[in-house]
Amino acid sequence: MAEPSILFQLPIALGKVSGHTAIVTGAVMTTIGTTIDVAPSGIDGERLVAPSRGTPAGGRKGVLKGGFTPYVLLIPATAILLVLVGWPLIQLLIMSFQEYGRAQVFGAPAPFVWFDNYVKVLTDRQFWQVLFRSFAFATVNVALTMVLGTLVALLMTALTKTFRLVLSVGLLLAWAMPPLTATVVWGWMFDTAYGVVNFVLTNFFGLDYQGHSWLIEPLSFFTVLTLIVVWGAIPFVAFTVYAGLTQVPDEIMEAAQLDGASGSQRFRLIVFPYLRSIFLVVFILQVIWDLKVFTQVFALQGIGGIRDQTSTLGVYIVQVGLGSGEYGLAGAIAVLTVIIMMAISIYWVRQTLKEDPL
Amino acid sequence: MRKLSIAALGVAASLALAGCAAGGDTGGGEAETGDIRVWLVGTDTPQAARDYLKETFEEENPGSTLTIEEQAWGGLVDLLTTNLSGSDSPDVVEVGNTQAAAFTSSGAFLDLTDDYEALGGDDLLPGFVEAGSYDGHFYAAPLYSGARLVFFKKDALAAAGLEVPTTLDEYISNAEALASANPGKSGLWWPGQDWYNALPYLWENGGDIATFEDGEWKAQFSSDGSIAGLEQVQQVMTNASLAPKDANETNPQVGFCEGTTLQLSAPSWVKWSILAPLDAEAPGCPDQEANLGVYALPGMDGGAAQVFAGGSNIAVSAKSAHPELAKKALAIILSDEFQTIYGENGLVPAKLSLADTLGTDEVAQAIAQAAGNARLTPASPKWADVEASGVLTDFFVQIAQGGDVKELAAGLDERINEILNG
Repeated sequence: MAEPSILFQLPIALGKVSGHTAIVTGAVMTTIGTTIDVAPSGIDGERLVAPSRGTPAGGRKGVLKGGFTPYVLLIPATAILLVLVGWPLIQLLIMSFQEYGRAQVFGAPAPFVWFDNYVKVLTDRQFWQVLFRSFAFATVNVALTMVLGTLVALLMTALTKTFRLVLSVGLLLAWAMPPLTATVVWGWMFDTAYGVVNFVLTNFFGLDYQGHSWLIEPLSFFTVLTLIVVWGAIPFVAFTVYAGLTQVPDEIMEAAQLDGASGSQRFRLIVFPYLRSIFLVVFILQVIWDLKVFTQVFALQGIGGIRDQTSTLGVYIVQVGLGSGEYGLAGAIAVLTVIIMMAISIYWVRQTLKEDPL
Repeated sequence: MRKLSIAALGVAASLALAGCAAGGDTGGGEAETGDIRVWLVGTDTPQAARDYLKETFEEENPGSTLTIEEQAWGGLVDLLTTNLSGSDSPDVVEVGNTQAAAFTSSGAFLDLTDDYEALGGDDLLPGFVEAGSYDGHFYAAPLYSGARLVFFKKDALAAAGLEVPTTLDEYISNAEALASANPGKSGLWWPGQDWYNALPYLWENGGDIATFEDGEWKAQFSSDGSIAGLEQVQQVMTNASLAPKDANETNPQVGFCEGTTLQLSAPSWVKWSILAPLDAEAPGCPDQEANLGVYALPGMDGGAAQVFAGGSNIAVSAKSAHPELAKKALAIILSDEFQTIYGENGLVPAKLSLADTLGTDEVAQAIAQAAGNARLTPASPKWADVEASGVLTDFFVQIAQGGDVKELAAGLDERINEILNG
């Protein structure tokens, strides 16, 4: 017996060769219990049977295979996203239009104030300062992470197996370190009174760093923060780019070298175009991660520094929401953040699709 | 279609069942048993008291258990907000007395008005009962009060030819003299984020944090008295302290034991941090016991200064799954036996009648003096938000950094007004 799916594809193809088969097929389908329009054919005794449309029994497998299977496969992921991201997002949106304080958390009714929260946020100087600070921070960090990560990846291609292993393990350890732990340890290293950085600078380099506070000046705070964030992000870029680099055909590189292309020319003209899509994906991820960086800033502010001058979007939302109990206001800031992130993501994803005819 | 509706029915049914199960859980019976979760904050509560609470509760309520979970002071308001409003709320929670109003006003705590007399009635510390009450109802009982004292190294003070100060001005000049006589050491260790210690300077100079006038709060940091106090604060922080300008006040014993801190102002229980055994998790320096002196911060015109009355309240969560059991745990916490352990460990017990459990040593006398003149932060439900927003720590870090006092104070007042009246 042939498989049903084959049977389903058979009627028209076989019908032309042998009316008998078609009749048999028709009979099979009829037995399943669906009424099928049978068209008369020019060939004697032959009846053409159209593929059933929307009838579950006979056609199901075939239709799924061609049309619905991908969508069915998407259902679990979509459902999880809807529950874990979609629902909170809707809640957030609603909350951003309400007056929502601590009393509302414990059950008091939340009156709708519509765009009041948004007006308040958008006319607040502090919000714009925080936004500017976040973008400046993200720009510097994305650039540093991409450049240093790529350099490490290139280094890995040039290393012998042993050293590549050592480097990989080092990168993995940095990548595996939870951001909170990393920040606390970096914080100890930059500690004002007992930090190793001040100790080394004072005792080995003869500089006066006794009791120097690294976090109290905003610029110095962001330098330390950049160090922590970039240090933690390099491994991801390095590994991803390294994986891409191994896919660049050796012959082409060799040919280019024979043609006299310098190292930088080879990277710019051959490697980069090959890895363009990888670079773009990593770049987008880095932009999003660095814009929404939270743990490192939050933890570092607990160690030292002035919150007002060092807050980025993520911690600002928490300060307004949990800190000051203004959940509605914080909701509005969060919605604005989501819009900004989505705009950036959509722009870059479209760019990727445009430039990458896959 | 039929299959879909069957599936929908199934989902609805299971949801309803889940709802039933959850509902069944929260309904409390008479002889119920359960696990009571008690949240204590910080390390202030001695281990002996924790053991007593657990053992007594489990003995009196066979079949039930009591778990103590220790939380940190940092970020406590956020933590309580999210946990007390959730379905898995702890049953009994400690909260800072200045933070209590945020929760008593929002319905997070169970109304204990009917239990007031049984818990101690008018014997409970009045300032803390006030902090735990809202709108005529009693929600959070006093847990303990900690007075702020000045600890000093007796040998350092003697070597500089100084005596225990009797006025605030003398205290400041002492700190400066100690610092200049001992380069590289703090005459008074004062990290920038430690704003509690700055309040006496404001109050003693006639300033205040905020006052309530005509139905709205007015922050008072830029009033004349407060500015005079803040200038003194800046003077001490810049001239006498080598503590990091932007650090918080945790682990004051480290510098004291290392010898770089000659004086420090801290809650009374810091004595035990300083004298902690060498093999403790946070080791102290027990050998300094004879050299450790203590006095109450002197005021402008002699006597004890008006200091901040730090301390804790304790309440039952409105969402506790076992409110009756939780109340029983609360009763043990406010029993004379439990509170005596606080007194013996240098914390002011929640009951006035237990004041003599503090003993009669130097610390006890200093505590008694300081507690007699203690003051509180503004009694606004939103005051906890002022603390949690970090504007105060930012402000005092900038003061420590040498910023312009008047300008900073005006900015701070604006922010505080915004939060308190927002």
